[in-house]
Amino acid sequence: MTGALYFDKNIMRRRKKQLDVVHRWEGNPIITTEDIPSSCGDIYNSAAVKFGNTYLLLLDIEDQKGRQAIYIGRSDNGYHFDIEKTPFLSSDDIPDGKTYAAYGVMDPRITFLEGSYYIVYMVNSALGFRLALAKTNDFIKVTHINYISEPDTKAGALFPEKIKGRYARLERPKSGGRIWISYSDDLIFWGDSKVLMSPRPGFWDFHRIGCAIPPFRIKNRNWLLIYYGIKDTVSGPLFRIGAAILDKDTPSKIISRTNIPLLSPRELHERIGDVNNLIYTCGAILEDDDTLKIYYGAAHSCICIGTIKIGKIIENCIESKREF
Amino acid sequence: MGRGFAYERDILYRFEGNPIVTLEDIPFRANTVFNGASIKKGDDYYLVLRVEGQQGHSFIALARSSDGLRFTVDDQPVMLPAESGEFAKYENRGIEDPRITEIDGTYYMLYTAYSKYGPRIALAETDDFVNYKRIAIVSEPGNKDGILFPEKINGEYVRFDRPLGHGVGSIWISYSKNLVDWGKSELLMRPRAGYWDSYRIGASAPPIKTEHGWLEIYHGVKMTPAGPIYKIGTVMLDLENPAKVVARCENSALSPRADYERIGDVGNVVFACGAIVEKNGEVKVYYGGADTCICVSTVKLHQLIDFTFDR
Repeated sequence: MTGALYFDKNIMRRRKKQLDVVHRWEGNPIITTEDIPSSCGDIYNSAAVKFGNTYLLLLDIEDQKGRQAIYIGRSDNGYHFDIEKTPFLSSDDIPDGKTYAAYGVMDPRITFLEGSYYIVYMVNSALGFRLALAKTNDFIKVTHINYISEPDTKAGALFPEKIKGRYARLERPKSGGRIWISYSDDLIFWGDSKVLMSPRPGFWDFHRIGCAIPPFRIKNRNWLLIYYGIKDTVSGPLFRIGAAILDKDTPSKIISRTNIPLLSPRELHERIGDVNNLIYTCGAILEDDDTLKIYYGAAHSCICIGTIKIGKIIENCIESKREF
Repeated sequence: MGRGFAYERDILYRFEGNPIVTLEDIPFRANTVFNGASIKKGDDYYLVLRVEGQQGHSFIALARSSDGLRFTVDDQPVMLPAESGEFAKYENRGIEDPRITEIDGTYYMLYTAYSKYGPRIALAETDDFVNYKRIAIVSEPGNKDGILFPEKINGEYVRFDRPLGHGVGSIWISYSKNLVDWGKSELLMRPRAGYWDSYRIGASAPPIKTEHGWLEIYHGVKMTPAGPIYKIGTVMLDLENPAKVVARCENSALSPRADYERIGDVGNVVFACGAIVEKNGEVKVYYGGADTCICVSTVKLHQLIDFTFDR
């Protein structure tokens, strides 16, 4: 048909003012379905890690049958990625995958802990969604450790060190849409679960929240948590990301929390896709100059880069003098 | 109506004196009594009852008996929702559905802690069923119907629980080394389409060890246009690997039929919370009727086993 029916992409690009705290890279999106060498229906999101000199993404990709799996993308510069043809982790690779991961494996979050890379990811099936844990040292071979939650729990991430002698993780049980924290001595048996943070009626994170980027320490040793928040509108959910600072010794204690999102869907590729109006991230890379390079999925259809200085995130947290 | 009816359609035989505990027997103001754990210690019988107060929050009361049929309820509740500390946050809308299991001489109670954060399974310990020591909350929100096995299996404590995955209520099994931290959760069994247990299922009584395996009494729900029907069924599990189903009953063992099961705050409910195996091979299954009273039914253990194997 004629192009007149379509929105002119350049209208969005001509904008001069920076609307969000996070700066969007001008070359976004960096990965679209056309860049995936295997059968690809959707690109959901990705975890990110710098492994030696290689930028590495663990991409959550849905094949055209509709099943999600995790694929590796590699890059020298952090912008142009080569994506592998076969999955790094799929439901075929894990015990009882047919039962618990029939719809696929998804939403990976990487934590470097005690010399290894641990990946908390979600499996989904008719039985509900639950968390599983895997481990790798080289991003070639991956070991399944165990399923670590019951249904329905998602958005799991490990802390990169023990808290008061115990491993700790964040998670998002469906009941209440809140972020919880749980502890373990061995990464297998988990307990002492507590509510950490709740959605805020009337705010951008009105209805549901979850951990986006695994928590990491900032200069004063407090924890920085970048999380996603969902507001349900009459035409569907709006997915955005924000941040919170957690106490250095007791991360179940919130010190501050952004009243505004750091990044909201505004560009066409963030607004239009299989799930509209969605920004969702599972990982970022912290560069030496304190720039956080956030790899975020947009509209369930592509991967983009947003950059922001850590100091600016902290500023936004501290300036937000409202309830949390 | 209903009087003179012989309730022989069910394998569980209703005691003629049912219901055995009603609101009339509760010495303090309350809304309803239902779902009680049953224990026999020596020659004494105890029912650890869920009582719902008139504001709508549940708590725990105790009834005692010397024959397992006629009970007297203590003057005061034995356990109220915690008012301070970590437990208070997760119990402030009530404590529900106690299930008590004896492990190596200690009585452990799993119950549902209820709050705005959702239902969670909590663990307490008791000697006398009057005083309870809270140990820990042992699940995330969205989980209930926790019941401990009476012994460790392969060196680990084992429990049933009932998470809601995509709204489907299946029975799961979890494991622990210390009763506080739990993991390795796996599916035990799902609702069965077209059956009396087609909508939701959950474990009901602590499992009974038999030569054929662990005999578990569970509840199954069928959804109808007029609301749910709660029935009682049985399943036999492998002794060494309790996540393996050896046999599952075809028919329900008890369906709501009597007036006191059909009429109440939640009609058409029979919901077991405990079973006592007598020396003569008789099993007393205690159950809540219509979320309004406590009843008892009996069956021979060998009959219940045959029923489970559908023979």
